[in-house]
Amino acid sequence: MRKTLLVFVPLLLSGAAAHAHAFLDHANPRVGSTVRSAPSEVTLWFTQKLEPAFSSAQVRDSSGARVDQGARVDGMQIHVPVKALSPGTYRVRWKVLSVDTHTTEGNFTFRVGQ
Amino acid sequence: MSSRILCAAFGLALVLAPTGQAAAHCFVGARFFPATLVTDDPCVADEMSLPTLSFSSANPSGRENDVGVDFAKRITENFGITVGTTWTFVRPPANDATLGTSASGFQNLDTAFQYQVLKDAQHEFALLAGLVVEWGSTGAAGVGAPPWSTLQPTVYFGKGFGDLPDNLGLIRAFAITGQVGYQVPTTSFDLTNQVPISQNLAYGASLQFSFPYLKSNVIDLELPNFINHLIPIVEAQFLSPVANNDGNPWITTGTVNPGVIWVGDYFQVGVEAIIPINRASGTNIGAIAQLHFYLDDIFPNSIGRPLIGSAPPPQKPFGD
Repeated sequence: MRKTLLVFVPLLLSGAAAHAHAFLDHANPRVGSTVRSAPSEVTLWFTQKLEPAFSSAQVRDSSGARVDQGARVDGMQIHVPVKALSPGTYRVRWKVLSVDTHTTEGNFTFRVGQ
Repeated sequence: MSSRILCAAFGLALVLAPTGQAAAHCFVGARFFPATLVTDDPCVADEMSLPTLSFSSANPSGRENDVGVDFAKRITENFGITVGTTWTFVRPPANDATLGTSASGFQNLDTAFQYQVLKDAQHEFALLAGLVVEWGSTGAAGVGAPPWSTLQPTVYFGKGFGDLPDNLGLIRAFAITGQVGYQVPTTSFDLTNQVPISQNLAYGASLQFSFPYLKSNVIDLELPNFINHLIPIVEAQFLSPVANNDGNPWITTGTVNPGVIWVGDYFQVGVEAIIPINRASGTNIGAIAQLHFYLDDIFPNSIGRPLIGSAPPPQKPFGD
């Protein structure tokens, strides 16, 4: 058992060979928040570097219509420019592939002007 | 003969058939089910619990300390094997024939063969089927390891509540897991104690509240980072004799285990109390703690991958 720990602990501390799943760290607008003025972009910050070709996000209004103008992956972030948003509830869906080939996904809502 | 070959080929195809992209430890859509301490999570994975420590009064008139190790390895994307063993110190000895006031030694070796039947990302639902085998005579009689083996077909499930309507708010961060198994010993009568060996229903469940899920999918309350890694949990496990139990008490034993799991990128740490449900299950509150490693994240290109086959190639998100 001691030998096994001697193998694991330095590896965990160094993190050299390991890459974990990418989790959503935070977003702007914040997850579940209400903002007074409509944002021009939704930005997502992740805990790991993403593979741009296999990572993306979408923003849809309460009727399910897309209001985003595509997504751009930049390292650990996804930038999603959106059209002019009227007051209402919007759902952000994201699906990403971290550099170690693990996929994660999630979704959340934010509200504008309500 | 040919029908046997067809059945074998069909079974092999089932085992090798992928159910989704690589997610490894228990991700189902937006939901992450942590490795639970006294029941099992509903996924095959490359993981290792090292160690699991417990202090309990499982022996009604004394105490028991356990140190356990479990190693879970995916053979294919959907089929995995878990091997576990536990070293036990018990006072008084579990076996009347053991001399002295205490005994120590290994429990019987456990092996679980598990197949991932379903992962429904949209509904955060996972289903797992398995066969748990306790290998008789591989442990010490003084700590209660029986000389007979036990076969336990088991079904495991997990369900997150994230698909509930948004207006239910915090409830969406809850999830449940559960398992039901039927224990069949390979011997029906204990010649040493002159009693039948019962067949038992082994079942358990957990109710968990995920702060990571709350922050990422429901509402970011800007809580301290440490809190955002916590999953408070209540587990429960029970054993009920259902057949071949004449002469033994027909009593359900079990424990309820409230606790919390801290989830990191590469490992998790869990701590739970062990509360016996009746005197037959123990006389005092115990505790269990576990350090659990995600091998798929620590060694993504070696022992963290299935031995046979590979995950389907990554897909464009949303079919873009």
